[in-house]
Amino acid sequence: MTIGLVIYPELCHGCGNCVVACPINSLRSPEVAGGKGPTEDVDMVMMVDDGVIDLKNPNHCGKCGTCVESCPVNAIRLEQVEETE
Amino acid sequence: MMEKTEMIGDKDISVERTGAEARKLNFKNELCGSCGICEKICPVDAIEVNPTGAMVRTEQESSKLEIDENKCVLCGMCSCICPYDALDLEIKGKTIKESDEYPHLLKSSEIDEDKCIYCKACETACPPGAITIARELPDRSKLVSGEIEIDKETCIKCGVCEEMCPAEAIELDYKFPTSDDPTIASNINIDKDKCVYCLVCKKACPVDAIKGVCRLCSYGDYDIKAEDAEIKGSSDINEEVCVNCGWCKDICPVEGIKVTKPFEGTVDINQESCQGCETCVMACPCNAISFPETEEMGGISEKIHIDEKYCIYCGACEKACPVDAIDVKRTKIHSTPVKSKSWEKAFESIKN
Repeated sequence: MTIGLVIYPELCHGCGNCVVACPINSLRSPEVAGGKGPTEDVDMVMMVDDGVIDLKNPNHCGKCGTCVESCPVNAIRLEQVEETE
Repeated sequence: MMEKTEMIGDKDISVERTGAEARKLNFKNELCGSCGICEKICPVDAIEVNPTGAMVRTEQESSKLEIDENKCVLCGMCSCICPYDALDLEIKGKTIKESDEYPHLLKSSEIDEDKCIYCKACETACPPGAITIARELPDRSKLVSGEIEIDKETCIKCGVCEEMCPAEAIELDYKFPTSDDPTIASNINIDKDKCVYCLVCKKACPVDAIKGVCRLCSYGDYDIKAEDAEIKGSSDINEEVCVNCGWCKDICPVEGIKVTKPFEGTVDINQESCQGCETCVMACPCNAISFPETEEMGGISEKIHIDEKYCIYCGACEKACPVDAIDVKRTKIHSTPVKSKSWEKAFESIKN
């Protein structure tokens, strides 16, 4: 078991706070750093797709918890998950 | 017969091996700073530190680190190097931190009781709350001198003085007026133990019923005894909880605190990579990291600032940073002599 990023799409309102808050996302994309969503899929950790959060590259996650803090509805969490290599 | 067991009580962990030389490794979750030095030094990779950001920012059920009891050889390296004393190896019931055979970190924080004025600045600043200052203040009535009197005949019991008295020394006994006694209070009293002779009541009284004088204002404090003004107290640093960050030493107005930090080193921040996510600020057990304010409106400052005055170079921030923007280097370890070659090598390995 390890601690990893888990999403709850059924809770998600699609606000995109986590996408913008994620320091990995903002480091990778100037659009995200500026507070806008990414223009194309540039290796984001997570993205809002069709109004709902989707994990794109969970392996890039730094497990810092910034997205967890930014989510108003607890739809993204750091939790115990099965280890995947 | 030898047996190894692992017990997890709450979030503390202990790994135990029974036999001729019983060994027990205790981990106290509350003390752990998630710095990862133990993970680095462990010769058998038995320790895994859980993601620092996840541990400090989100609620987690797991401990800050995991110890694999099948791998742990109970050597005690982690116990000797942990700057937060969260790990402790006992051999035959005795902690190796008190044994001369094992090296230990030279770190300490001490308050000089002769210098301490019990101002409580250190108690307030201490990041882990390790300091307790107990103080006994002087008797206020012994630090003032004067006379005060209410002419009860003149007094109309309006209660203005009672309402204004900053020391709450005046009290009226209110009652309902009757035709027999058409007043609103039966009595008025000044508590001389509480009165500080500020004479606000005298000035405020609408009928000039109060006479008073402050002797200190008129003649100085000649009749106040120096010993009556003395603040007594005691100070205590909880050694187990203390992280030796130096906040107390820095904030002490009388230079009454001595701190020895366990490591020397450097910290570098890549201001370009930093995205200001605050994970390091929350992870730092020493409160050494902050968001700086700009010098002028609209100015650009560093994204984060690490004050090395308070840093012990544990590396928790580096471990917590999701974008690898922090580089902590340890250049020197303050410890008692390391006697074995292999331990020396291991200690060297946590320098970088």
